[in-house]
Amino acid sequence: MKKLIPLGLIRGWVWQIIGTAFGVGLVTGIRVLMHLPPWKAEPSAVVGGLFGALFFIYGVGVFDDWILWASGRESPDHGDEMKLGWRRFFGPSNNHKTIGVQYLALSLLLFTIAGIFALIFRVKLAVPGSKLLTPTEYNTLMSLHGIVMIISVLIGISAFMNYVVPMLIGARDMVFPRLNAFSFWIAVPAGEILLSSLFMGGFDTGWTGYPPLSAQAPLGMQMFFLGVSLASFSSILSALNVLATVIRLRAKGMTPFRMPIFVWAAIATSIISLTATQLIGLSFQMVMLQRLLGMGFFDPIKGGNPILFQYLFWFYSHPAVYVFVLPGLGIISELLPVFVRKPLYGYKWVAMSSLAIALAGFLVWGHHMFAAGMAEYLRDPFMVSTLLVAVPTGVKFFSWVATIWRGKITFPTPMLFVLASILVFLLGGLSGPPNATVSTDLQLNNTYYIVGHFHDALYGGYVFPFFAAIYYWFPKMTGKRMSEKLGKLQFWLMVPSFTVMSLLMMRIGLLGMRRRVSDYDPALGFQADMMVMTIMSFLTALGVLVFFINLFLTLKRGEAATGNVWNSRSPEWLVPSPMPLHNYDQELEVVGEPYDYGLKDSPYVRFHGESEDGRNQ
Amino acid sequence: MVETNKASALRLGMLIFGALAVATAVEFLLALFAYVLPILVVIALIKAGLVMYYYMHINRLFEADPDPDQESFSYKLMTNRIGLWFFMLSDSFIFGGLLVSRFNLLGLTRPDVNQFTGLGVTSLLLISSFFANRAETAMVHGDRKQTTISLVVTILLGLLFLAGVIGIEWRIAPFRPADNVAGAIFYAMTGFHAFHVLTGITFLSIVLGNNLRMRYTSEKHWAVEAAVTYWHFIDVVWIIFYPALYLIGSVH
Repeated sequence: MKKLIPLGLIRGWVWQIIGTAFGVGLVTGIRVLMHLPPWKAEPSAVVGGLFGALFFIYGVGVFDDWILWASGRESPDHGDEMKLGWRRFFGPSNNHKTIGVQYLALSLLLFTIAGIFALIFRVKLAVPGSKLLTPTEYNTLMSLHGIVMIISVLIGISAFMNYVVPMLIGARDMVFPRLNAFSFWIAVPAGEILLSSLFMGGFDTGWTGYPPLSAQAPLGMQMFFLGVSLASFSSILSALNVLATVIRLRAKGMTPFRMPIFVWAAIATSIISLTATQLIGLSFQMVMLQRLLGMGFFDPIKGGNPILFQYLFWFYSHPAVYVFVLPGLGIISELLPVFVRKPLYGYKWVAMSSLAIALAGFLVWGHHMFAAGMAEYLRDPFMVSTLLVAVPTGVKFFSWVATIWRGKITFPTPMLFVLASILVFLLGGLSGPPNATVSTDLQLNNTYYIVGHFHDALYGGYVFPFFAAIYYWFPKMTGKRMSEKLGKLQFWLMVPSFTVMSLLMMRIGLLGMRRRVSDYDPALGFQADMMVMTIMSFLTALGVLVFFINLFLTLKRGEAATGNVWNSRSPEWLVPSPMPLHNYDQELEVVGEPYDYGLKDSPYVRFHGESEDGRNQ
Repeated sequence: MVETNKASALRLGMLIFGALAVATAVEFLLALFAYVLPILVVIALIKAGLVMYYYMHINRLFEADPDPDQESFSYKLMTNRIGLWFFMLSDSFIFGGLLVSRFNLLGLTRPDVNQFTGLGVTSLLLISSFFANRAETAMVHGDRKQTTISLVVTILLGLLFLAGVIGIEWRIAPFRPADNVAGAIFYAMTGFHAFHVLTGITFLSIVLGNNLRMRYTSEKHWAVEAAVTYWHFIDVVWIIFYPALYLIGSVH
């Protein structure tokens, strides 16, 4: 117990309870002063949740240095946090590697929770007419599966941008370390508040939260809006930090076109996160205000316009898809040359294609609204702009295929996941244009075909690259290598079963299954497909379970791996694992191209101040 | 030498303030007597440009680093500037979203609000921006006392602005937030902006406290620059919001 009390997390929770009570008291007090009935659940929950989150962050200790500065004092030197051992992960660390691991753990936790939600409602869908869940419970679980997964993805990409980007560019840390801690710790109460909607009546709108339905949904809806709004700050500030870090802290000689390709992907992602994310926050806050104060933005009776919500919402939420997949595609491009021992084909084109996808992503949001009653003349431009995104994405595929071509390929677990990503993302990509084309979209809109499409896009663009990255950088984080046997078992459990499931999703969509409905008519004739999909979803989940077993066993008694496990050219592998506290002790200079695998005498980086033999291959 | 620079900085600040004041008067009179929409838009953009260039010094972002050492003060100062501008860029998307909502929902009509309170609060914020600029320029020239006075005046004007918007404007408006969509938009836009004014006042007060504790020098005063730049940003937002809420369109 004595060991636990100093933990930032525990202090945070204590302060969160105080903050929530303060918020509820504030609302009640104001209502008493205004001669209203003192208790009203909705404003109390929202204000309580908000203050709870702020007090939580204060309790953790994230504000400590800023408070000292504001009162005119210097912040103390935080010293070597490594001596805290495992406890450093539960407190307000400013080190990018610790924060990266914190993000990773939170992301995996939310990923697991959201996955369990999916398993529950998949059991219900296995047979028609199942009474396992009431429709409201089904809707809540289905909606939470979507949004918790999305938050988990956002946190997961923050994990890798935080952990890897400073190492790749040769920096000691992120440029704003305290802001970095803030971005992580605000995601914790955001997740808590989001999940609390389960116990506050749930919500039944799906992850999009469209009004007018969301303006009437149960109280859980407000927790959804508040949770996502808070999580959006995490994403925005993390993106700000990444952009500033890449602009300001690159090693000597690292010109833009000598940056690792993952850094380009991180930049492209961060441009979207930094700007567009504000609009999903705004659109959600506007619905919150509509519910709390009756402001009729989206209420036609008061002159409002429900379609406006969709414009604001999709202006972020479509580019958000590129936020999810660009880092994943960056990981594919980053890892592929290592395992085929060949230069990345068309480096500059791949780098530019990430930016092109990000910028084109700002012009495509309307394709989500073809069937929503948007103006007719807007349909064609949005169709064309959406189809244009296929061009830079095609550049990436071309580069991957050309990189693999005649390479000396080896197949350790990360490479297997990279190859799976390429295949599955291809399925997701090819199933996309029919949704972007107005004529076919009007048929496909709101069917399971869409569900299959975006599961393929996100598994290929995020989930599989995410696992590849964990297997690849795990030795860097811990100095231990994850088991290849269990890794391959995970791969063979997850990839085929997931692919079958997603293809069946598309099939039943074409046969007439609507998305977001809790039941279906056996006469539609895809009962067997539904059963197979449920079995496949459990096999996929089993794969994730194997991953966690692997993680646990490796941490307990894994094979030590302190050297350049993958024989990579990247600077982080040229120093011992686990990574030293401040990354590079010697000055690092970039002297060559990042991906010249197989070329003799072409080092990428050089360290000053020590002998270089054997360090640069 | 320093004295002449100081005098010319004061002259420049006053010149820009004069231009902003004239532009505001022109847009107000135009809206009343000779309403031409494109001219109002152009005037607002010019005003915003003047503040961003002369008060917020956006050009500093594009200067070369005097010292390439990443640990040096000047390098870190530039990094902080970039971070602050990224933050303001991000924030401006919230205000952009509100602006889009306003034109989507109300089109070329506007909420029926009192023109003279509008002009009054706008003038308060404009004058406060002048004094914020004075605070920063005085700090550059090492004049702590002038900085303190200017910060106090800025904060007082900011508080008066809040009193004008929340205490007067919100009370005399002929609608409540829940009445109709014009009310919803008006309270949302002024409310989001007022929240930013409140945070700006908080930052300025912190900077004022630390200035009284002699924490800043003419070389090292990033906090002063940041708080003042943020205050100007709030002014730029109002420069756009003022015509959008008060001047553009006809009252139904």
